[in-house]
Amino acid sequence: MQSAIIAGIGHTEFGRLPERTAFDLEVEASKRAIEDAGLTPDDVDGLITDPGPAQGILDGITPHYLALGQYLGLDPAYTGSDILGGASSIAIIQRAVLAIEAGLCSVCLCVYGDSALSTPGSYSYGRGDDAAFGLFGAVGIHALAAQRHMHKWGTRPEQLAEVAIAARKHAAQTPHAQNQRPLTLEQYLADKYIAQPLRRADCCLMSDGAAAVIVTCPDRAADLRQSPVRILGHGQASSLSTWASTDHFDTLPAARCGPQTLARAGLTPNDIDLVMLYDCFTIVVLMQLEDYGFCKKGEAGAFVEGGRIGPSGSLPVNTSGGLLAEGYGGGMLHVIEAVRQLRGVAEQRQIKTVQTALVSGHGLGMNTHATLVLGK
Amino acid sequence: MSTNSQNSYPLPQPTGFTKKFWDACQDKVLTVYACKNCDHTFLPGGPACPQCWSPDLVSQPVSGLGTVFSFVVYQRTYHPAIPAPYVVALIELEEGPKLISNIIGCAPKDVEIGMSVRVHFETKDGFLLPRFTPLNPDNKSEG
Repeated sequence: MQSAIIAGIGHTEFGRLPERTAFDLEVEASKRAIEDAGLTPDDVDGLITDPGPAQGILDGITPHYLALGQYLGLDPAYTGSDILGGASSIAIIQRAVLAIEAGLCSVCLCVYGDSALSTPGSYSYGRGDDAAFGLFGAVGIHALAAQRHMHKWGTRPEQLAEVAIAARKHAAQTPHAQNQRPLTLEQYLADKYIAQPLRRADCCLMSDGAAAVIVTCPDRAADLRQSPVRILGHGQASSLSTWASTDHFDTLPAARCGPQTLARAGLTPNDIDLVMLYDCFTIVVLMQLEDYGFCKKGEAGAFVEGGRIGPSGSLPVNTSGGLLAEGYGGGMLHVIEAVRQLRGVAEQRQIKTVQTALVSGHGLGMNTHATLVLGK
Repeated sequence: MSTNSQNSYPLPQPTGFTKKFWDACQDKVLTVYACKNCDHTFLPGGPACPQCWSPDLVSQPVSGLGTVFSFVVYQRTYHPAIPAPYVVALIELEEGPKLISNIIGCAPKDVEIGMSVRVHFETKDGFLLPRFTPLNPDNKSEG
């Protein structure tokens, strides 16, 4: 599949930005992405958005894409939002590819933005009627999964710590990263629990910030400022029956999405040079390493030991620090880092021989998943 | 969101799909939904059987016995009416369906996956909620 390319990337600063709204951040990220591509707003004929936790509907009626399109002054040929939680950023890029392949548009702006850090409580929601039992936030669901993983496979806190420590080490090489403070194993083990067995350091950041990419068709390549990054494959899988399915906490939909997407790209896990995994909680990185086939089921804890996924490890994961340390970019920052690495402009983070990258998205508790495979 | 206001207890908000389950709880009876077409039992309730899509459903009392499928000890308070620490567990009922609840009647450190539990109804703001206690007295402690 060589049907679409990523031509432009852009993002704002990430952190606590109380003077900014999600929309003005999204406008800034969009502007940066279109400039990076060497195109102009007039070239944009597609707009697809990841509306973040707002679920896409503002003031009871206005969908997110409509409001953003109005602010950007766009009259797109194709538009919409996707609401797959943390899988949305990849889902909207996937939809852009499909729209471009179908000839519905030719330059599609894909945007994520949020002001979660300056909007108290936006991720502390009760989960429907289960709030009566105290099931709040995304952390509880992931703690249930972590407890299962520890019970079933003997995974230890020191192995979860490897993921958190690697993220901070990567972030230390990322100038815009929100959390560049070093983390030691001792600090990790002394960190307070949020939802045991998950500690504060197992949980991703909340951020104010926005990120955008431009997806276009290969025949626009001559117009572009940057060398294009090819979209080699894309996929989705979901588990909407949640814990009614017997393996809900033992296997992510990634176990279906990953192999299928890699097969469509004609690749295997061994062919992937850069791995960018959605990391809302450390446990999800371990589960994805297994479900994508980078290691065997149940062995991810041992697999990440010794700094294997850190900056100097044999399989660097989330080279910009990810949601755990770079900033909560809804997954779009993962895509942007993969593009930078493939362009060869990741500065001190640059991986020497990167020809292919895999990016994942995981959302809505553990229900949705999406995969993007990129290449030079 | 099932919270009515910032501080009141976040009680369930029964809908047409879940009312039979919560109504039975008010009589201290734990029930699951059963499909008259294919005998599948499930939770939570919905408009049809998620296995065969038949709308012909009945509410069926169960033993109230189950095991802990997984659990989490909340150490951060998210709602003022539910102070940490507390144990949220996914209970696998003897009859098959799973539901989110709490483990009470033992210290959080004594909860483990696979532990046998029994339903115990507790009142919150006049509403009976199904919680679970260890079946084996060895798991009970002063905590």
